[in-house]
Amino acid sequence: MITIQDVGNRRVLFLLLGFAILLVLFFLGGVAELLLIAALGAYLLDPLVTPLEAKGMSRTAAATIFMVTLLLIVFFTFYFLIPVIIHQIQEMQTSGASEQTSRAIAKLELLIREKLGFLGMQDFNLTEKIKQIQAYISGIMVDFLIKDSLSIIIHMVTIPFFIFLLLKDGRELKKHLIRLVPNRYFEFSMDLIYKMDQQLGNYLRGQFMDALVFGILTTIALWLLQVKYFLFIGVFAGIANLVPYVGPIAGVTPALIVSLMETGDVMKGIYIILTFALLKLSDDILIQPLVVAKSVDLHPMLVFLSILIGGHLFGILGMLIAVPFTGFLKVVFSESVETLRRYRFT
Amino acid sequence: MKLFAKKPGNGHAKAGARLCEILKNVPIFADLNNRELSSVVRILHEREYKPEEIIFREDEPGMGMYIIESGKVSIYVESGQMQLSVLGDGDFFGEVALLDDAPRSATAIAKTDCKVFGFFQPDLFGLMERDSKLGVKIVLQVARLIGERLRKANKQLLILNEELTKIKSGNK
Repeated sequence: MITIQDVGNRRVLFLLLGFAILLVLFFLGGVAELLLIAALGAYLLDPLVTPLEAKGMSRTAAATIFMVTLLLIVFFTFYFLIPVIIHQIQEMQTSGASEQTSRAIAKLELLIREKLGFLGMQDFNLTEKIKQIQAYISGIMVDFLIKDSLSIIIHMVTIPFFIFLLLKDGRELKKHLIRLVPNRYFEFSMDLIYKMDQQLGNYLRGQFMDALVFGILTTIALWLLQVKYFLFIGVFAGIANLVPYVGPIAGVTPALIVSLMETGDVMKGIYIILTFALLKLSDDILIQPLVVAKSVDLHPMLVFLSILIGGHLFGILGMLIAVPFTGFLKVVFSESVETLRRYRFT
Repeated sequence: MKLFAKKPGNGHAKAGARLCEILKNVPIFADLNNRELSSVVRILHEREYKPEEIIFREDEPGMGMYIIESGKVSIYVESGQMQLSVLGDGDFFGEVALLDDAPRSATAIAKTDCKVFGFFQPDLFGLMERDSKLGVKIVLQVARLIGERLRKANKQLLILNEELTKIKSGNK
């Protein structure tokens, strides 16, 4: 018989567990990030390896063939995409605003100097400020691609290797871990792992599919609207879409800035906003209900808190994976409570 | 494709072969060949229990069946305080949980030091995904076994009914 006090104790226990996970992540830093990405990758890719096994292959052969194929696809994609992305970033760094935009900026600059002169803004130089911001943003991107290249290379080697090992031996690893569970909690753990696996599989694969579909649709839409750097912005919008509330705004902003800087055409800017609104609407009405599990609804406060913690621990990447990771923790917590209720632990 | 074909169990060959022999005597796995038995062995969970330790409890969710390698296990109904049977080496119990999600109908307690192998529903589902032919073979055997028990239970019910009718008519 479970009393209210038991449920309360369990909640405290799970809060402590969540806190312990955060502490471990904080102290392990890079290693935890590496393992988390690899585990997530292996988890998402596992259903693609199983059909090869069903064809009569051993797990090792299936995992090897799958990983080699995947790496070849990734290699060729990067081979064609990286030069395009670098070219787009370089162009972003050097390009200036169009004549129309320059005129609009000069007008705005004059207005600020006249109206806000009493605030000490007589010498305000908007063009210079915009150039500084532009250089800062592209500088971050170049830093990411060049300065962090060693860490990127290490990640590109170790993550696929870890993914391969987890795909090959993940099942055995899980079996060995379950073996450590005391007899009384053995069936409970099996039950819990199975239920979490079903819920999490749907949730994480759904999130991934949603980001992929949204990214592709955005890229096509921006290409049709003839927005420069459509590929770069489209990929970014797809990834940013993983983050609720903030994601869509983060996606539309670069498209809007690039378009306005290049053409100065306000109507085109409105078209871009309308396109993003339409894409987001179809994402909410059509794509998400089809691919993302409804059971993992997160409170807005929890979403923002998780983004802040993710950003603090792992930077931009942390912010992007914070929401799926919080969804993961929510599934773990709710399934644990639900499964515990069905067992008579004394 | 033969180059990549699944190999029969190699690493823990001896233990695997011994376990295969035990499985051959379990009706559910009786029709399986050596390769199929090796696939089943890979997904079994080995557990050891001390005397009086609970393996599973009545009314709790059932995850699957157990095969006894060594030791004695008592199956009893807690609600009715009645022992249903005592099982020994090579016997199996809890197989209904492979097919349905209903709570356990009885409690299983180790009577001596026991070594058992657990075969669970999620692993069976996984096996069906990877090797549907093997999965169907196992599920069919479980269904046959349950059907056979149902027939036996029906016969017993019929006998009990007849006896009840006799008692009732005797009382009149």
